[in-house]
Amino acid sequence: MKSGPFAFVRTTTFRLALVYSILFALFSAGLLAYLFQATVGAMRAESKTRLEAEFRTLAVAWNTGGPTRLEQSLLERVLVDLRDFTYQFEDANGRTIVGDMPNMPVQPLEEFGTPRVVMFEIERPGPEGGANITPIEARIVKLGDGSVLLVGIKMDERIRQVNRITRVVATAAPIGFLLALIGGFFSARYAAHRAESLTKTAEGVMSGDLSLRAPVGASGDEFDRLAENLNAMLEKLETLMATTRHAGDSIAHDLRSPLSRLRNQLEARLRGPIDEVSARETLAETVEEVDRVLATFNAILRLSRVHAGAEGTLVDLNLTELCEELAELFEPACEDAGIAFTAEISSDLSLVGDRTLLAQAVSNLLDNAVKYTPSGERILFVARRMEAAVEISVQDTGPGIPTADLERVKERFVRLDEARTHPGSGLGLAMADAVAELHAGAFTLTRGNHDTGLKATLSLPAKR
Amino acid sequence: MHVLVIEDDREHADFIEKVLCEAGHSVETADDGAGGLSRAREDQFDALVVDRMLPKKPGLQLVEEFRNGGGTTPALFLSALSDVDNRVEGLQVGADDYLAKPFAPEELVARVEALGRRQTSGEPPVTVLRVGDLEMDLLGRKVTRGETKIDLQPREFKLLEYLMRHAGQTVTRTMLLEKVWNYHFDPQTNVIDVHISRLRAKIDKEFEQQLLQTVRGAGYCLQA
Repeated sequence: MKSGPFAFVRTTTFRLALVYSILFALFSAGLLAYLFQATVGAMRAESKTRLEAEFRTLAVAWNTGGPTRLEQSLLERVLVDLRDFTYQFEDANGRTIVGDMPNMPVQPLEEFGTPRVVMFEIERPGPEGGANITPIEARIVKLGDGSVLLVGIKMDERIRQVNRITRVVATAAPIGFLLALIGGFFSARYAAHRAESLTKTAEGVMSGDLSLRAPVGASGDEFDRLAENLNAMLEKLETLMATTRHAGDSIAHDLRSPLSRLRNQLEARLRGPIDEVSARETLAETVEEVDRVLATFNAILRLSRVHAGAEGTLVDLNLTELCEELAELFEPACEDAGIAFTAEISSDLSLVGDRTLLAQAVSNLLDNAVKYTPSGERILFVARRMEAAVEISVQDTGPGIPTADLERVKERFVRLDEARTHPGSGLGLAMADAVAELHAGAFTLTRGNHDTGLKATLSLPAKR
Repeated sequence: MHVLVIEDDREHADFIEKVLCEAGHSVETADDGAGGLSRAREDQFDALVVDRMLPKKPGLQLVEEFRNGGGTTPALFLSALSDVDNRVEGLQVGADDYLAKPFAPEELVARVEALGRRQTSGEPPVTVLRVGDLEMDLLGRKVTRGETKIDLQPREFKLLEYLMRHAGQTVTRTMLLEKVWNYHFDPQTNVIDVHISRLRAKIDKEFEQQLLQTVRGAGYCLQA
C-alpha cells in the first residue's frame, strides 16, 4: 500500500465512513425538511381555522341582525383591535361602512356557503417612509343586499416565523452535513489507522520478525479483540517455530552422532584386512546401528505429530482397563529384574483420550522405571481420581534424578545416562509430556516420597 | 506361497522379492496401482503386498476396489506413513495387516506367512488347536499337554492361541504386541520376552520336547 498523509483515503474503512456520513447528512436533511413542512403546514392550518371561525361569527351577526348588527360587531372588533384580523365592509355602491382599506382589493368571489380563501397584499406607508407590505389571506363575500364583507387575517407574523424557521434550517443543514463529514473523516482515519497497525504487524511478521506483536488498546473493542487474537496466534506460532527449530537441531545432532559412529566403524573396517567372518560381523553391526537411527527418526516424527495435534483421536476411554493391561504387561518384566511391582488402580476411571498414545506415554514411564530401578527396589504404579483430574503415577525407589535436572530430562534427547548403557532414544519423557499436553493435562517429575527415587505423574482432566 | 508385490520403487521391490524368495515363496511384482489390480484379479495369489503410494492408483483405492470386486486374497499394506490413523484407514478399506517402512525382513516374512495361514484356516470354524501333544480347546478354554492340564492366565491363553494359530511360523515381538495386546508401539523393555518365558515355563518346562522356540533376531516359533 502506498503511504502518505492521505493514503487512508483509499482504504475500505474510509470509504465506508464517507458513505455513512453522506447518508447521515441526507437523513438529517430529510428530517429538517419534514420538520419545516410540518411546522409551516400546522401554522397555515391554524390561521385558516381561525379565519373560518371569525367569518362564522360575523355571518351569525348578519343573519340575526342584518347590516346594522354586522356593522356594530365590526366596529366593536376594530376598536378592540382583534389581534391580526382585518375587515372591510362596503355597501352595494362600494362605499366603505367599516374598514381601513381604501377599497376592496379583489372582487368578491363567493356567495354564502362556498368558502374560498383569496390572498393579496396591501401596501401601507411604513414607519420610516418605506412601504409596509402586509400579505393577507381573506374571505370576501357578497351579502344578500349587495354589500360586500371582507374578513382577512394578516400573514406577516406567520411569514416572519416561517422565514425564521427557514433560516434555521438553511443554517443547520450545511453545518450538520459538515460535522457529519468531519466526524466521518476522523472516525474513518481512526479505523483505518487501527487496521493499518494490524497490517503493519502482519507485514513485519511476514518479513521474518516473529516477535512482533500488534498494539492492543484499552477499550476492548473489536480491533482490540482482533489484535489480542492475532497476538495469541503469533505467540503459538512462535512457540511452534521455536519447537520445530529446536527439534530440527536436535534431530541433526542426535542423528549425526550415530551416523558418524557408523561411518567411522566402516572406514576402520575398510582399512583393515577383510575376511568373510569380520565382514559379516561389520554388516550385522551396521544394520543394527541403522535400525537404531531409523527408530529414533520414527520416534521424532511421531513426537512432532503429537505436538502438532496431527496424531491422536480422542474418544471415551476406560482408563482403569488400560492401566490394568499395562500393569499386567510390565509386571513380569519387573519380577524378572528383581523389582517389587505394586499396582494400585482405582475402578471406574474414565477420560476422553487416545488409547494408543496414553498407553505409549504410561508404558514409557514404566519402561524407564524398569530400566533405572536396581534389583531389590520397588515400583509403585498408581491410577486414581484426584478431584477433576485422573492421576497416573509411576514411582520407584531407585536412585532418582537430581532436583536440578528434573525439568531438563523432559526435553527431547536429554539423557542423564551419558554412557547410554540402556537402549533408548531419549524421547520417552518428551513423548509423555506431549501426550499430556494433547490431553490438556500435565506431566510432572518429582522426587519420590521420603526424597528417594523418582515419581513421574501424568495428570489428565477426568471425564465430566 | 505365491505373493504379488505391488511397489513402484524398483530397489525396494527387489529387496522384498529377495527376502520373500529366500524364505521359500514365489514372488511376482507389479510397479503401478492399475497394473497391480488387474494382476491381482487375473491370478490366484496367496497374499498381496501393497505399497500405499503408487502411481496410477493409490494403494488404498486399489485394495478397496479389489475387495468391492469380490477379491478375497489377504493384503498387507506397506507404508512410510506409520501412525495409527493411517493404519486404521488401511484396515478399513479391507487390508488384513499393515507394516510401516522401514521394516526388518523377518518381520515382513512373518507377517506375509501369517496372512497365508489366515485364508486357509478361514472356512470351518476351528474349536480345537493342536501342536504336537499340546491341545487348546477354544470353547472350553482349556489347555492340555499330553495328559497334563495347564493353567493359563487370560492373557497367556490369548498369547498361546495366537502362537498356535500360527504354528510353524515365525511370529515377531511387534506382531505379538499388536495382535495379543493391541498396542501399536514398541516398549523398549523386553516385556514380551518375559511373557513368553513365563508361557514357556508352563507349557514346555516339564516336557521333553520344547515346542516354543526363539528365532534369533526375529521372534518366536511354536512348532512340534
